[in-house]
Amino acid sequence: MELQLIEKSDHDQFVQNLISNYQVEGVKRKDGSFLYGSIKAPEELCLDFDCTAIPPRKYFLPPKETLLQFALTPDLEATPVIENDPFILFGVHPYDIKAINQMDRVFARGVPDPHYLKRREAALIIGVDPATVAPRSFWADMGASTVSEGFDLMLTDVGEDFIVEIGTNKGRTLLEEYAKTRPATRDDARERVKIRSRISHICKKRGFAFPKREIPKLLEHSWKEPLWEERAGKCLSCGTCNLVCPTCYCFDVQDDMDLDLAHGERTRRWDGCLLHDFATVATGENFRETRASRYRHRFYRKGLYLFKILDDMACVGCGRCASGCLPDIADPVNLFNKLREEEK
Amino acid sequence: MEKPRVAFFDFASCEGCQLQVINLEEDLLKVLEAVDVVTFREAMKEQSDDYDIAFVEGSITRKSDEERLNGIRGNAKVLIALGSCATLGGINCLKNFHSQEYVKKLVYGDKASSYETYPSRPLKAVVPVDFEIHGCPINRDEFAMVLKALLLGKKPEIPNFPVCVECKMAENICVFERGKTCMGPVTRAGCGACCVTEGSFCWGCRGLVDDPNADSQRDVLATHGLSVQDILGKFRLYTGFSEVAK
Repeated sequence: MELQLIEKSDHDQFVQNLISNYQVEGVKRKDGSFLYGSIKAPEELCLDFDCTAIPPRKYFLPPKETLLQFALTPDLEATPVIENDPFILFGVHPYDIKAINQMDRVFARGVPDPHYLKRREAALIIGVDPATVAPRSFWADMGASTVSEGFDLMLTDVGEDFIVEIGTNKGRTLLEEYAKTRPATRDDARERVKIRSRISHICKKRGFAFPKREIPKLLEHSWKEPLWEERAGKCLSCGTCNLVCPTCYCFDVQDDMDLDLAHGERTRRWDGCLLHDFATVATGENFRETRASRYRHRFYRKGLYLFKILDDMACVGCGRCASGCLPDIADPVNLFNKLREEEK
Repeated sequence: MEKPRVAFFDFASCEGCQLQVINLEEDLLKVLEAVDVVTFREAMKEQSDDYDIAFVEGSITRKSDEERLNGIRGNAKVLIALGSCATLGGINCLKNFHSQEYVKKLVYGDKASSYETYPSRPLKAVVPVDFEIHGCPINRDEFAMVLKALLLGKKPEIPNFPVCVECKMAENICVFERGKTCMGPVTRAGCGACCVTEGSFCWGCRGLVDDPNADSQRDVLATHGLSVQDILGKFRLYTGFSEVAK
């Protein structure tokens, strides 16, 4: 592992150099919350956020995107639309990087998805260790305090300086070209370990009362638990838990025609399994008609179905679903602990 | 293919939804290439009773409105309700919670006996309606989408999910998190969450989704400090005609 050090007084210049040479996207403050957006000046970039309202997933799977453009000619012309403009994503917490790593596998499986993958390839990711913990986060318990891959550079605020871990050669080049650095000492490395363990310790206040590897087994015999019905009675079917989740990736595909009725485009937009019509098919049947069946599905998806594919839960402990759910029924910690209790 | 003949009509309304159609601007020219508009009082002086598609704005607030609406239904192959007044009864239904004599006097004073009125209702309470374009006012892009769907012979995709979805897509910080209250969690999307995006909150103008969790929404509003009366008021503003506002 290679660690470098950027003095805080040199950091703004590093960011400015990146802005001068790249499209830089990073965390900004909005209405008392944090959101990713375009960074035009170093002072806009916020690195001490607890958790963003919307995960960085939007850079690879946008809310709405065009997949292809078509013309209704006798041969039917269709042109794929692939976006791959290079950009830097500056300030991603390890749990969100873990989610991106999972999504990279999901979108590369089976028929690889070029729209996602090309955008992903075009991105340079600069991670940052959390300096504060959001009230509903439990990423430490999900094993997402740190990640060993999925970033080009990883920053840790150690007071006077940032320690930078180099994750890839692209990251190394970025640092060599645009930052004033010096090698980190063994003491710096130890300081990083200390700071990481301190923040992780704060986050560990929330978590599962049992080993999370037991969740798939727990779910295998919880299908008929009354808890699903009980909790789902309050579900607004608003899809917020899906849409703010860094590991939810379902989408709906539609054809939008121009008014000339000869040209059009195929688009896809975010969808969510909690929404009423999510499992409705062309003939009108809805395979998950009830709130309880949709509510249960989300937890089975995170804790069992995707576990079988990823060998890990499709949940990184960001807690966005928990803080975004108005009736407060979406929190995985609360749900799985309660389910485990009922089992006994 | 012969161009479909299209007519616009209005009942009790501000006519703002028809204005949205005129506001299509350059797309309006494309609309006029695709259809023949034969009646549109707000935009032209010609009129005709020979039309295929009728867009009808406004709610029904008088017994005598019914005859005129029946006539339109009889002439049109497809009848589309345009805007909240037509699809839900809209804010006109606020008067339904008072005596009709009282509201008549309030508006017309000593001339009240010269006017007729009855509780407001959406078009579908009087005649069968084929499609509904919600909103106060309508979203003009949605109007264009419905028109295109009709021309292509496919069913228009009117969202059946709440405004929360479009708020997340627009990256709005939740209204409740900003210390205000919002009807978004039970209101049909399709507006792009425009009011929240502009800094306000959702008033519920597009009506409720097909299967709203009204009880949960009431609980959420109460948790955020609204009284029973305030909550009822939130539901009655646009959806006074529906069961949840009773």
